[in-house]
Amino acid sequence: MNAYFIKDTDFTQFLGKMIEAHKVVGPKAKKTRFVFDQIKKPEDLRLDYDVTILPPKKLFFPPRQELVRFHGQKASSCIHPEGTILFGVHFYDIKAIDMTDQLFRETNPDWNYLANRECSTIIGSNIQNVYKRAFFSSVGKGVEPKGHDGFITKISGGYVYDAITAKGKNLLKFGAFTDATEAQLTEASKANKEVLDKCPEKLNNESLEISEKVRNQFKSPMWKEFSEKCFSCGSCNLVCPTCYCFDVQDNWNVDQQTGVRERTWDGCLLEDFSTCSLTGGHKENFRETRASRYRHRIMRKTSYLTAKLGGPACVGCGRCAGACTADIADPVPVINRLMEV
Amino acid sequence: MSDKVKIAYFDFASCEGCQIEMTNFGDAAFLELLNHVEVVEFREAMSEKTTQRINISFIEGSFTRESDRKRLEDIRNRSDIVIAYGACAATGGINALKNHQSDYKQDVYGKDADMPHLESTFALPVSAAIKVDYSLNGCPMDRNEFIRVVSHLVHGKQPVIPNYPVCVECKMNETVCRYELGDHCLGMVARAGCGAPCPADGIPCEACRGFVDNPNEESLITTLMEKGGLSRERAEARSRMFAANCRADAPHKIETPNK
Repeated sequence: MNAYFIKDTDFTQFLGKMIEAHKVVGPKAKKTRFVFDQIKKPEDLRLDYDVTILPPKKLFFPPRQELVRFHGQKASSCIHPEGTILFGVHFYDIKAIDMTDQLFRETNPDWNYLANRECSTIIGSNIQNVYKRAFFSSVGKGVEPKGHDGFITKISGGYVYDAITAKGKNLLKFGAFTDATEAQLTEASKANKEVLDKCPEKLNNESLEISEKVRNQFKSPMWKEFSEKCFSCGSCNLVCPTCYCFDVQDNWNVDQQTGVRERTWDGCLLEDFSTCSLTGGHKENFRETRASRYRHRIMRKTSYLTAKLGGPACVGCGRCAGACTADIADPVPVINRLMEV
Repeated sequence: MSDKVKIAYFDFASCEGCQIEMTNFGDAAFLELLNHVEVVEFREAMSEKTTQRINISFIEGSFTRESDRKRLEDIRNRSDIVIAYGACAATGGINALKNHQSDYKQDVYGKDADMPHLESTFALPVSAAIKVDYSLNGCPMDRNEFIRVVSHLVHGKQPVIPNYPVCVECKMNETVCRYELGDHCLGMVARAGCGAPCPADGIPCEACRGFVDNPNEESLITTLMEKGGLSRERAEARSRMFAANCRADAPHKIETPNK
């Protein structure tokens, strides 16, 4: 039996003990939005969040990450992982972390990501409020969220906690958990099922059909129309939980001896992303138009990675739709229209 | 003879604030840098001048008087690398606000308006007169970027000047978008590199570093009106403060020096 129950009245104490013993990162309010940040007081944790500005992948793959420190010709690693409990992750973000796990592990394992990832404990939580652009119930339906250590669901009077792994069971010691009853489990499962009906947006087709058909629309004139208002600002890439591209640069400190090799997030919507240096100081951009960059992102999400990931590289969080100032990034109307052609 | 990299500062139409920003760096950083570069001319901080060869010239201020062309050409001829230093030199900056107006002279200078040294034309980037190798954008320029660019040049590397918009940095900082808070912003077309401190502090980006190479100006105006609630007139004028010369309607097309 891995399912437990904790009363609302005991939950604050559980959080208090957990954050006393571990670094805990969870959803916190920031103005009108939410962000994953360190939880220092139990009341800061906002499990009623709809979505965070950035996905929790930033914990393993931060926007700016030092890779190597150098001193002349000598280099030292910047991998110093800190065991962290990532608490309150929605299921779509759990799916996304599972994808970035796979992408950073394949071929040449990326230890700058994996070291942070492997010492983390991930505890999911049910979605209490649905983001106004979410479509998580109609994308990649066959892809199960996995890789997390526990999952907590709000029910009447408290929370049902599913302790999945040893790391997940480790948290039981911090709170007054009892075995969950059948009725409590039923209520939790109902909550997690019912939220799927609450997405404001919906893809009209199955992911596999979408994957094939969208790929075949490569030459469609619609890409130009979709991207007319695009700023090439990369916001859709930067808030995406499955985007994983980065740029690497070396920077010297003012002493001109020491410095850092640093990676920063990059995105295929940005004009310079696809710009290459050629000999003689020349440059070439292999995706020069807004339309070609826009198409590339949709292709990556719907089609290019599906064979590798076993499903679309999109989890329906809706962050891209909300982050786009021109409001053209939402994949739902785009995909639905392409499917109608 | 020192084998340090020789650098010099020159100023044209500007407030000289970008040079002051350099001295604001603080003792530790500035003195440390002097171990690697030799400053051979810097009117704000020393009285010596040079007529010798210069490795890197930093030019502050916009080119707004034809009579300044010769001095600019002379600096170019003596310099291995010329860097437009700060917004006025890189894009014309705030000075370019006068470019679409004709009635400013009397308002600004009053009875002195007709003095000969005040005779000026469009405020243009330095690149309108001479070849510029790199730009240090911003009003004022960012000292961390300055160190980065100088370090790259000292090590014989080509510095990368950002050509992505401020939205990128707001996202990385997880700043709540101005538009989500009912405000407006120019971040979608504004050249980044500043770290986006303004939106983080609750004010819209003014694009003080100019535009990215290919801004979507039409979409900017639509977004300012539809999401930012600005009138058409205001939306169309909004980006003039710092980016007048970067706009499609600028009287003089900017050659972007960013490699």
